[in-house]
Amino acid sequence: MAKGVAILVGTRKGAYVFRATGARKRWKLEGPYFGAEPVYHVAFDPRDGSSLYAAVNSAFGGPRIEVSRDLGKTWKTAQNPAFDEPALTFKRTWHIEAGHASQPKVVWAGTEPAGLFRSDDRGMTWTHVPSLRAHATEHEWSPGAGGEGLHSITLDPTDPKRISIGISVAGVYDSADGGRTWTIANRGTRTVMPVPKEVQHHRCVHHLVAHPTVPGVRAQQNHVGTYWGANGGWREISAGLPSDFGFAMALHPGDAETAFVFPLAVPERLAPEPGAAVWRTRDAGKSWKRLAGGLPRGARLEVLREGMSTDRLDPAGVYFGSTTGDLWASADEGKSWSLVAEYLPQILSVGTATLA
Amino acid sequence: MPRVNVRLHGVFSDFAGGARSTTVDASTVGTAIDALAQRFPSLRERLRDEHGRLREHIGVFARGEEIQHAGGESQAVADGDTVHIVPAMSGGG
Repeated sequence: MAKGVAILVGTRKGAYVFRATGARKRWKLEGPYFGAEPVYHVAFDPRDGSSLYAAVNSAFGGPRIEVSRDLGKTWKTAQNPAFDEPALTFKRTWHIEAGHASQPKVVWAGTEPAGLFRSDDRGMTWTHVPSLRAHATEHEWSPGAGGEGLHSITLDPTDPKRISIGISVAGVYDSADGGRTWTIANRGTRTVMPVPKEVQHHRCVHHLVAHPTVPGVRAQQNHVGTYWGANGGWREISAGLPSDFGFAMALHPGDAETAFVFPLAVPERLAPEPGAAVWRTRDAGKSWKRLAGGLPRGARLEVLREGMSTDRLDPAGVYFGSTTGDLWASADEGKSWSLVAEYLPQILSVGTATLA
Repeated sequence: MPRVNVRLHGVFSDFAGGARSTTVDASTVGTAIDALAQRFPSLRERLRDEHGRLREHIGVFARGEEIQHAGGESQAVADGDTVHIVPAMSGGG
């Protein structure tokens, strides 16, 4: 296996893998995989360095999860996540997350309807975690524009029992006991619609991220606001950004105060004038810098919730994909950008695999 | 038990490893689908959801009619009948 980086791209029509050496200058395409099927997420498993998990959400034949043990060369279909309750039918997978390093066979999946599923065999079979939907607020969860999805799963890097999830529209829920019980974790975030002060759910989290090595460091892009985790709640960090709306967010793997977002103007949900830009903070959201070197001037791109990612190299690589099928990369932490691929189908997700 | 032909069209043939047709013993369309899924386990979750319901966007035809306009899965089939499993012509994405 060559050292370097693979960009894992899920699109409206198939998954693409682009590989490069650590210089991240020349990218070689592998795939596409899964033909014309929508792929909402492709996740890398850094624990074995070779597994990929793909959320294939086909209309024909229904949703499924595909697993590769050789970085995408071959794939095997997993047994579907399944709800016991007749009223709930597995409709699609939004996010797949490799489990904690101390649990090498555990993988997590977030679905629509909002459900958390656990695999104990590296993704081949899945068990519903019923405690989450048993939460007292569950009857008030409601679908966002994209559906009622559990789209974010984050793990504490030191404590495998600490898991967090994001649901649209419900918000962030934390578990400190491996998913047996859940607490609402939305304090400090605003609501899209007015709700009574005591209502701590009904928050429209768009994307939740956590630092891969520093415990407790997390951030979220919300429908109303960008937030940094603080004191068990959230501190709004939208000031200095051109919009408090967006979907994509990524953390720097080596610097726990650096994050990247791709703000979108409303109501059009496109990059605000003067066009596509990634915004970076290096001080946990106290200030922001617009990064557009090499990006097309005036191009009002749109990036979806899984559409941006960082690699684990130094300097960190940053990647994003647009709904117009353009895949962009920066090998210098956002300072300059180059086009990896264009004219892809609508890009739904961008992930990375940093290959040792 | 009647011997029934089942023909797989489009992606449903792909999900069955490229098989385009098979013959099963079945008395209704539903039991023909179940027998098909038993023969090709990779088709089971592609045809039905976790509650056993036929998935959306599948057209099932027997005796020249789509079953939803006839007797549904309980529609009887006779020796020599053919059941067609077709990706529904729906959507547009």
